[in-house]
Amino acid sequence: MIPDSYGVGIGWRPEIAGFVAELPGLRFVEVVAESVPATGPAPPALAALRDRGVAVVPHGVRLSLGGAEPVEPERVSRFARVAELLDAPLASEHIAFVRAGGVEAGHLLPLPRTREAVDAVVANVTRVQAELTVPLALEPIAALFDWPDDELDEAHFLNEILDRTGALLLLDIANVYANAHNRGDDPLDLLDRLPLDRVGYVHVAGGAAHDGIYHDTHTDPVPDVVLELVAELSARHRPPALLLERDGDYPPAAALRGELDAIAAASGHPRVT
Amino acid sequence: MSGGPPAPGPIPEQDPTERVTGVAGTLAERQAALVATLTAGAPVPPGFDARLVEVARSALLRKRAGDVARHWPLLAAGLGERWLAVFARWAATRPTQGSLRDGWDLARGLAGEGPLPAPAAEELAVREALWRYDGTTAPRRRRLPAIRRTDGGTVLQLAGRIRLWSDRNR
Repeated sequence: MIPDSYGVGIGWRPEIAGFVAELPGLRFVEVVAESVPATGPAPPALAALRDRGVAVVPHGVRLSLGGAEPVEPERVSRFARVAELLDAPLASEHIAFVRAGGVEAGHLLPLPRTREAVDAVVANVTRVQAELTVPLALEPIAALFDWPDDELDEAHFLNEILDRTGALLLLDIANVYANAHNRGDDPLDLLDRLPLDRVGYVHVAGGAAHDGIYHDTHTDPVPDVVLELVAELSARHRPPALLLERDGDYPPAAALRGELDAIAAASGHPRVT
Repeated sequence: MSGGPPAPGPIPEQDPTERVTGVAGTLAERQAALVATLTAGAPVPPGFDARLVEVARSALLRKRAGDVARHWPLLAAGLGERWLAVFARWAATRPTQGSLRDGWDLARGLAGEGPLPAPAAEELAVREALWRYDGTTAPRRRRLPAIRRTDGGTVLQLAGRIRLWSDRNR
């Protein structure tokens, strides 16, 4: 677990660095691990946050932990170095693959929920954990489609990976909503079957539906249904930390503050604005 | 597109040869086939929901278009409302080499077909003057001075600094 309760945080991006720097109650941010120079020193804006006691969590997007091929050793070393450079309390990555056969997909792609895929993820996570000096949290992704040969349902697939790796869960509540909406499932069923006591932190993000399919865009406002899921989750087991992810079409500061406050209200954590 | 049957309790041991997947190939081969579908226009692998894979493919192209527009703002702005369509048509059969190179390759390709809008031409010329890019490996900063002509002016790079001359001001 994260040793402390960090409350409500926000994904640090260069475009909103000024806004983030002025949040008075902020105790943690996340930064895309691949955007941090591994040679150090930490970028000044992140170093300044860290110096005032804000934890900075590197969030990898390019390791391809779900790739059938072994995770590239240089990427693992780099990821581990960035976590050390930032004095991070933990680091996170996705249960997904982003390249295959030497070709970049340019996005996080879903895995077949098979034993073979579980084995591939577990092997790669183990390789990362061997170098990482802090706990690793794994994030299930939003999938627009499923593989035809799933053997396990989502909860079983995730529990198997978490049990075998000992990793924390980075639960993206918007992804839970997106997958349930797009598969016609009840998102609460998944929440009830995940190990909520192993949630390292939670992602909250916006999205939008087109032609009946919900897209986890990170460029739209956080819908009320996602905030309601934050409340449902917190009622079951309040996560130690929740983080707003916004990756473009940045709204005015007042709107971002409103979303942070809404997450605080839904989860019962203090406001950071 | 349901998530498959629930599997309560421990996962039953299963002989891999008995698994009914209807799909041949190792995980590595199948992941590569899916990436080829999404990035290079290959057919949808058997068993997948073609409509949903197409939704994902389109979403991926929109995301790439946005990423490239951030690296090449004047190229994207120069194409205006056509940007998404032009980029998506170009990118549909070209897996990403990163947003910088994707935009660069597209800008060169478009410039070869006809004049780019002036700001986009200047953006390309400035990059060409600052960096050496062979089209197949990562661009590298030029150590020597470079000069590039556009339809509307001239770009000079000297010691990493850029100077621009417009033909109109001569």
